Amino acid sequence: MNENHKRKVDTRVVVETPEGVDFQFVIAGPGTRAWAWLIDNLLKLGILAGVGILLSAVGVFADSSENFVAGIMSIIGFVMNWFYGSLFESWMNGQTPGKKSAGLRVVRTNGTPIDVTSAIGRNFLRTADMLPFCYTVGLISMLMTRRMQRLGDLVFDTMVIDERREWISRTGGLTANIEPLLRSECPRRFSVPERTLAVIERLFESDRIISDARREEIARPLSEALRKRLGYQDPAPDPRNPHTYFRTQGFRHTQFILRVLKTFADDPSGSKGNSKNSGTLMDRTTKKKERSERDSSYEENRQLAGLSSGEPGRES
Amino acid sequence: MNRERFIRDRRNDWREFETLVSRMKNSRQSKWGNRDVATLSRLYRSICYDLSLVQSREWGARLEQYLNDLVAQGHNCLYRSPPQSVRAVWDFFAVGFPRLLRRRYKPFFLALALFLIPLIASVWVGYTRPDLAELIAGRETIEHALKSYENELYVEGDSRYSSERTRMFGHYINNNTSIAFQAFAMGVLVGIGTCYVLISNGIIIGILKGAILAKGNPTADNFFSFIISHGSFELTAIVIAGAGGLVLAQGILMPGQRTRGDSLKFHGVEALQLALGAGGMLFVAAMLEGYFSPLPIASSIKYVVGSMLWLLVVVYLTMSGRERITHES
Repeated sequence: MNENHKRKVDTRVVVETPEGVDFQFVIAGPGTRAWAWLIDNLLKLGILAGVGILLSAVGVFADSSENFVAGIMSIIGFVMNWFYGSLFESWMNGQTPGKKSAGLRVVRTNGTPIDVTSAIGRNFLRTADMLPFCYTVGLISMLMTRRMQRLGDLVFDTMVIDERREWISRTGGLTANIEPLLRSECPRRFSVPERTLAVIERLFESDRIISDARREEIARPLSEALRKRLGYQDPAPDPRNPHTYFRTQGFRHTQFILRVLKTFADDPSGSKGNSKNSGTLMDRTTKKKERSERDSSYEENRQLAGLSSGEPGRES
Repeated sequence: MNRERFIRDRRNDWREFETLVSRMKNSRQSKWGNRDVATLSRLYRSICYDLSLVQSREWGARLEQYLNDLVAQGHNCLYRSPPQSVRAVWDFFAVGFPRLLRRRYKPFFLALALFLIPLIASVWVGYTRPDLAELIAGRETIEHALKSYENELYVEGDSRYSSERTRMFGHYINNNTSIAFQAFAMGVLVGIGTCYVLISNGIIIGILKGAILAKGNPTADNFFSFIISHGSFELTAIVIAGAGGLVLAQGILMPGQRTRGDSLKFHGVEALQLALGAGGMLFVAAMLEGYFSPLPIASSIKYVVGSMLWLLVVVYLTMSGRERITHES
């Protein structure tokens, strides 16, 4: 039963390092991989066209015939066709330019970097995965395997991981439709310690089987303490539409701690006591997307783990 | 130890690790200093321990994620596949590849049969039944082949020759090696694709040979003196790549004591090595086909050289890499 319980529908794969530590990879789905493939193919075309133009330009001066150019071109075409992926993947540690732009990387299923043989092999088997059209075989194979591997990945024991780590937004779908707290609603303080957030998170962990009513009961003392800390007062019922007020009263503590979670866990600048809040939340999220996503989340974690981004060793 | 103390105690190590990793990521592995490597691996292990501590005490997802990132960076830094050298390529062709082929003689002979039997049969068809041959290969293909070998390919001093050979070399590399690699890759579809590639190529080549034989001498002589040299490497390589495809199929169909997935991985690497060896042979074949076979020299010389090349291929595949076994044992 326990085994079944762990088998979630999830794109995460846990890999155990030789040091005995588990860490997680996010498996890349067909869409992202198709995008990377598209970029790679455009690049291939670009390289072919560029070399072609260059060669013919040189050929005009060097008086070598078009046959020579055609010969070189078909060799380059051959290399592009069969070795483009493997050359880049072994040179750039599992990434082609397309994969890099999409934030993907090929690794072995034990998490170690890909070796040359596997890189060549998985790209050779593309021929079979492409059949009969549009990677149908590969897609079926991806749907049938936990690590979303196409045949080339299966045979050569590799997987494609997504390094953008979007799931890092720790609250996930939990706070999707929740309004964040406004700064004006909390006259006293506008920060919640990390430990409290962790407690809230644990209360909502999906493998915890708690009824909503029981969760509300557990949430009450926490919610009351937080209200005191933030100085938050429930708004009075809207006289024009009291119905919504009374409908949400039943789970007001759950709702409140979810709002706390949304405000201080999703938006890292909130927990540092910055004055700006919900109004710019959207902007900040989009801006964050534009920046290198991995770096930003890494930086966030670094700060919230208790490490300021100042120079090392200052407060020791 | 509480969380704050833990972070206070450990944070200097984490910082040091961060700077070390970011510095080492930007330099080549061979230029890493001894002391750096030693420090890195020590810090990496201690951070792994920190991570498992944080995981077990549930000290917050952010801290865990931060350490997880550190571990991932260190892991990427420390665990790399061994660098490949030119020496390894040479060893592969001199020793590994022929040895592997001898060990995998069963799929090789099966692929040979799949290629040779249709070939012989269709030579006979092309020779005796031109109507049927046209039906199979198409009239234009046959007429084109007959016409292109009617005359000597290139006469001496022909300017066409010097310019065309590079184009043909490129064409042969592209075309033939693609066929070979396809024969290998299609093996993953339980070998059906491999069989198709082998049989269809056998039939086409056979029909053309038969038709040219039926046509009689200047054409036949031109043709066979042309193909004998590079055919040694080319045809053998196609069969070997097909054998690679069959090895893949064997991995799926006959897993033996392994699970099917494990068996596929086990056989996959050897199958790929067969295909890569075949690729190397096809490179030699394309060189011969582009630069030697069309030389305007007497066909008797080509026959002699071609036979020697066939002998060379056989000796290479059966003998190369043997002496090391006796040396080692």
